[in-house]
Amino acid sequence: MAVSRWTRRRRLAVALAAAAVAATALIGAAQLRADEQAARPVAAPQGPRLLAGIPQQGAFLGRADAPVTLVEYADLQCPYCAEWARQTLPVLVSAYVRPGKLRIEFRGLAFIGPDSVKGLRTAVAAGRKGRLWDIVDGLYLVQGTENSGWVSDALLQQIAGAARLDYERLVAEREQPWVARELERSSALAHAAHVEGTPTFELGRTGGSMSSVQVRSLDPAGITPAIESLLGS
Amino acid sequence: VTERTLRRATAAVALLGIVLSGYLLYVRESGSQLACPTGGCETVQGSSYSAVLGVPVALLGLLGYAAIFALALARGELARLAQATLALAALAFAAYLLYVQLEILHAICAWCVGNDVLVAALAGLSVASLWQTSEEGGPSA
Repeated sequence: MAVSRWTRRRRLAVALAAAAVAATALIGAAQLRADEQAARPVAAPQGPRLLAGIPQQGAFLGRADAPVTLVEYADLQCPYCAEWARQTLPVLVSAYVRPGKLRIEFRGLAFIGPDSVKGLRTAVAAGRKGRLWDIVDGLYLVQGTENSGWVSDALLQQIAGAARLDYERLVAEREQPWVARELERSSALAHAAHVEGTPTFELGRTGGSMSSVQVRSLDPAGITPAIESLLGS
Repeated sequence: VTERTLRRATAAVALLGIVLSGYLLYVRESGSQLACPTGGCETVQGSSYSAVLGVPVALLGLLGYAAIFALALARGELARLAQATLALAALAFAAYLLYVQLEILHAICAWCVGNDVLVAALAGLSVASLWQTSEEGGPSA
């Protein structure tokens, strides 16, 4: 049966209106988390400091003579990296790094955008003072929505202050050419290691060859068996 | 083009969408490596925009495609209306996610772009289907 143009238009209008309502609700829900994260206050002072008393040298956390080395490729804005930093890093630090069994190297990447670059430059600059991991961990604990401007000077200043770093000096240092070279070096190493996502891990005996680790989960159980296996060998 | 042809084409495209979103959901849940020709898939899949209120976007896509597939098999005006509503809402959400990729994440996921093409096709087919449905909701072909 023929359908009048008016009926067709009315149907289409109903579909469009209902779709608009559904899409608005969906986009609103998707944006909700983003807005919540953007409005998150800057880092609250930490309780017991995770990294206190652990030696740091440049991008390395832990004693240089630790028998096993873990390399982490990560972007400071990658949510999975933050999850790993919150769930697993504290366990590795207390079980392996603090007792001198493991050292961890942070190879920072900044492919997500401007907030990654600013945070990573600051962290690398802090590495010269043996405080890279304080900046990295501080940022992961309060990670915001990608490229929302969450890596603000106020946040960095607070994290730097908690690590007893002079933020003004850090700002000057992060603009130095050596910092840019460090970022390029990490990027080249990631490229050579065929890193396609973050976090990516390599593990091996210190001073020996490193092997890529397939992490099946972001909790400690995802990586501790591989560490135990190397420590036992 | 008859309404039956439109519905068959819709079901075929929705089936492709089910396969695509099923793969993305499998990769996300199993932690496997995503095959990615553009290099930005991991950034997009690992971003805070890859889930809505804790529900993975890939799962939303899978459910949406499955619903459109089921509706494409059904006859009647109400089915066409629901199908067009769902497909148009999916198109708007896909446009939002494309904006997020280009303007916020600065990374393009080839799988998401493939999904956008399927969703655009479904929206076109569903609107055409709605336009052709007979007033009584019976089969027109």
